[in-house]
Amino acid sequence: MTDWFEPKNLNDWLRRVFALRPVLVALLVGCVIVLEMRFDWVERTLGAYLVTTNPARPQSGAIWEKGRQTLTAKKTLEKIVTDRQASQREARSAESFSQIAAGLSDGQGAMLSAENFRHLYLKLPREAAREVISAFELLEISAQGNWRRTYFEKSGSDLIVYLLDADNRVLRRIDVPAGGLLQLEREDSLTVEALEDLPNFKNRIYPAERFFEALVSLPEEIRRNVILNPETLLNPSGQIVQVGISDEAVSGYIELGFEFAIGGRRQVILVQGHEWAVWRLRSFLEERGAALHPIKQYLEDRTPR
Amino acid sequence: MTHATAIIRRLSGFFYLVLLLGGLGALLATGILFVVVSDLPRVPDPLNRIIETPPTEIFAATGERIMLIGGREAIPLNRISPFFIQAVIATEDHRFWEHHGVDKLRTLKALWVTLFEPGRIQGASTITQQLAKNLFFSFQRTFMRKFRELLVALQIEAHYNKEEILEAYLNQIPFGVGAHGIEQAARFFLGKPASELNLAEAALLAGLPKSPTRYNPYRHFERAKNRQKIVLSRMAAVGFITAQEAQNAFQAELRLPSRSAESRTGSYFLDVVLNILEERYGPEVVYHGGLKVMTTLDPRLQALAVESVQNGLAKLDQILGTSNQAEVEADSTEAHPQGALAAIQANSGAVNALVGGRDYSETEYNRATQNNRLPGSGFKPFVYYTAFEKLGLTPATVVADKKITVAVKGAADWTPRNFSRTYEGPMILKQAFMKSVNSVAAQLVERTGPEAVLETARRCGIESPLRPVYSVALGTSGVSPLEMASAFASFATGGIRHEPFFIHRVEDPLGRVLEEHIVGGRRTLDATVAFQVVDMMRGVIDDGTGAVVRRLGFNLPAAGKTGTTDDYRDAWFTGFTPNLSVAVWVGFDRGIGMRDKQGNGVTGGRGAAPIWADFMIKATDGEPPREFPVPADIRFERVNPISGSVAGVGTRQPMLVALRTGQATPKDLDYVTRAPDNAAEASEQPTNVPEKSSKIPKRSTIVEQDLSPDR
Repeated sequence: MTDWFEPKNLNDWLRRVFALRPVLVALLVGCVIVLEMRFDWVERTLGAYLVTTNPARPQSGAIWEKGRQTLTAKKTLEKIVTDRQASQREARSAESFSQIAAGLSDGQGAMLSAENFRHLYLKLPREAAREVISAFELLEISAQGNWRRTYFEKSGSDLIVYLLDADNRVLRRIDVPAGGLLQLEREDSLTVEALEDLPNFKNRIYPAERFFEALVSLPEEIRRNVILNPETLLNPSGQIVQVGISDEAVSGYIELGFEFAIGGRRQVILVQGHEWAVWRLRSFLEERGAALHPIKQYLEDRTPR
Repeated sequence: MTHATAIIRRLSGFFYLVLLLGGLGALLATGILFVVVSDLPRVPDPLNRIIETPPTEIFAATGERIMLIGGREAIPLNRISPFFIQAVIATEDHRFWEHHGVDKLRTLKALWVTLFEPGRIQGASTITQQLAKNLFFSFQRTFMRKFRELLVALQIEAHYNKEEILEAYLNQIPFGVGAHGIEQAARFFLGKPASELNLAEAALLAGLPKSPTRYNPYRHFERAKNRQKIVLSRMAAVGFITAQEAQNAFQAELRLPSRSAESRTGSYFLDVVLNILEERYGPEVVYHGGLKVMTTLDPRLQALAVESVQNGLAKLDQILGTSNQAEVEADSTEAHPQGALAAIQANSGAVNALVGGRDYSETEYNRATQNNRLPGSGFKPFVYYTAFEKLGLTPATVVADKKITVAVKGAADWTPRNFSRTYEGPMILKQAFMKSVNSVAAQLVERTGPEAVLETARRCGIESPLRPVYSVALGTSGVSPLEMASAFASFATGGIRHEPFFIHRVEDPLGRVLEEHIVGGRRTLDATVAFQVVDMMRGVIDDGTGAVVRRLGFNLPAAGKTGTTDDYRDAWFTGFTPNLSVAVWVGFDRGIGMRDKQGNGVTGGRGAAPIWADFMIKATDGEPPREFPVPADIRFERVNPISGSVAGVGTRQPMLVALRTGQATPKDLDYVTRAPDNAAEASEQPTNVPEKSSKIPKRSTIVEQDLSPDR
């Protein structure tokens, strides 16, 4: 191979410049540039290559971030809707107000039809239903033709019921304390325990004879409010042997337990009475010292001196 | 060595140097390419995936869509005016159909300018590169970002045809004011679909993406026109149109739909709605979840409210002489007084209109909800209600308007003064209320105690912090116009309070209900006492400090109260019909006093009531008169406004007062002087209407006929 040396004159230079190799190199470079300018082959090649790597590349950048946010939003919405639908479903299938209350968390609500409300309302014992809303008032609201839907809202442990028209205007708001609901709906429930087994009744259990003796000596108005639904007590075939008065008053009601002797077994039927009337009866019973248990002293201890 | 050989030698050396550098550059670029490619964002397939985000739509109460968030209204190319396509290509990338993602000549030129002309930076991004940038990259200017953007552009060009690229670009290009894509922009700025744009309109819109705020035709029409001219000349230069067509298009009249300066209908209202939604669902759901939100906004009332506030403030500018000042300080929002208006449906609490300032595009601060400005005498209805309810006073009770000083425990005495600086002596409470007599209100709060007044205000729905000081009677605790409108609505409904609300219902993209508002009111005020106050507030409009409302031509039954604070910093008028409760506030943001050129102050009756009247006249146009329902145990008596006794034949200017069952009018003047029994309870010095207390503090007195049978 000939060593490289500097040409001595212009002719040498020209020979060197226009020799085959430099000319080919220049042509090649020129072709590359012209072809690139004409056909964009670099861009095409690069683009084609990038297309092949596309699936392996990260989903980054504004558009993908937006996609992720959309996905998160969809999930959040889906959860809200699912929860809401679940509580709606549960409320629709509920057989009592307390079931609706139990299915809702605090602040949550469920929208039902007016029919749903009527259905639940008619299931309440007559007196209890009257406490929620009088049948006449409900009839009046129905007759006006505006009542479309009913919204049940859990507020703390209470249940608020809104009767709504088509524009969601409240026609009537009903506040039902949760405890009161359970109490209302427990009426007629039959238990198999003896009264002594029910802790709330332990302190005030009276012989049936004594109880009814005291009851009949009270005025008619008080009697009606002591046992709101006396028909309930006519259903069992046995004989009432003991009557208990609950220690707890809820929403203006006190439970009374009637222990029946039916053959060789005992059954207790719980009914409700208005607190004020039951209180009068109880005072009457205490005065006569008719209780089986020594509660008189207990009451005296509680009396402020 | 000859000169020629030296030149040839240099050229040859340069050639090989360039060749070497080119080779090295290519090698380096290849190396960088492999490094960068692994981190390059994946391009979605199909490209129109960019429009998959469901839009959150906000609707007015009338069903009209007032806002679209996040989504794109993608339309095919054949539904876009060819003029617009040509305008965009001519302006942004005239070799779009020829290049393959990068315009090399333009790039070399831009590189030359950027490197060798200090201070100048020239862009050379093609439409494909801009699309890549908008889809994947930040707006940070770095060489690496440009390189990555270039690579993505090359990939997009390699995978999609030009029509697909152009369609994607035109459907996502930002035009400002929340409009993305040409369809949204055409509808927003020109009120028509993109397919119907003519040459002039297309050129106007094509000029916007360069700087949407700077060229917004609603805010800077001249600038927008200049930009349109540039676009048209580019179109002519490229050969899409002739010079004559460009000239004609430039001279063609542009008809922008009337939208005033608002960037969108009910911007202040929408801000509140968005805040509520974000709080309840989080920003991701709001901006990417595709919610359907039915609001309480009435677009007609909103437009009227904006118009009334802007007209009213323009007149106020003239009164205050701030019009010229505004020209000097064109960009200063503080040069003008500001205003706010809140309109609420009284019997539901639905907020129908909300204006939070003079111009949303200038200032987004919402003075209708966020501003806590002193209401002044606008607070007196709460004081009088409290006095009627707690003390058994009546509108016919006689009280002396006189200078009083209230002793404040642990602070200097409070000596409020009347607006007129004069005292008129005995007058009935209705008269005192209609004339907004401060000394009488002060005597009432002295008797009731400030806590009782605060409690009434709370019952009506005032939620802002209130200080239990005597001066609260004169409105020295800040409230917002929305609160005032809502609180006064409690009077309009006879004491039933409805929480103000903005959203009727929210649905997910599939139409499943997420929430719906239940319109439930609760009684917070006694109906008959509330009516007595309403009757007195009617007096304010018919014959009191708000009589300008009648003079301006509003004739429907209405009630209201003016409010003006110390040194005329705030002017209020809050009033209502049985259907609509509206509060208007005007004042400077900086809290400077409003005085005309003669030095006279601008009161609520002068500054705010005309806006209220203008709005109500238009808002209730065509409505039949509807009276406030009168409770069964209310009767009306015509009484002497000074003595309170039943008016006789000779009584001058007798006044009709509403009395409850059992409340009598005095047979004759039989003043009972009482010493206040709770003056020592306050612990703070009131701040409003300050006046040096007299050297010998006098215990205030209420001079009244003892009317109530139970007192």
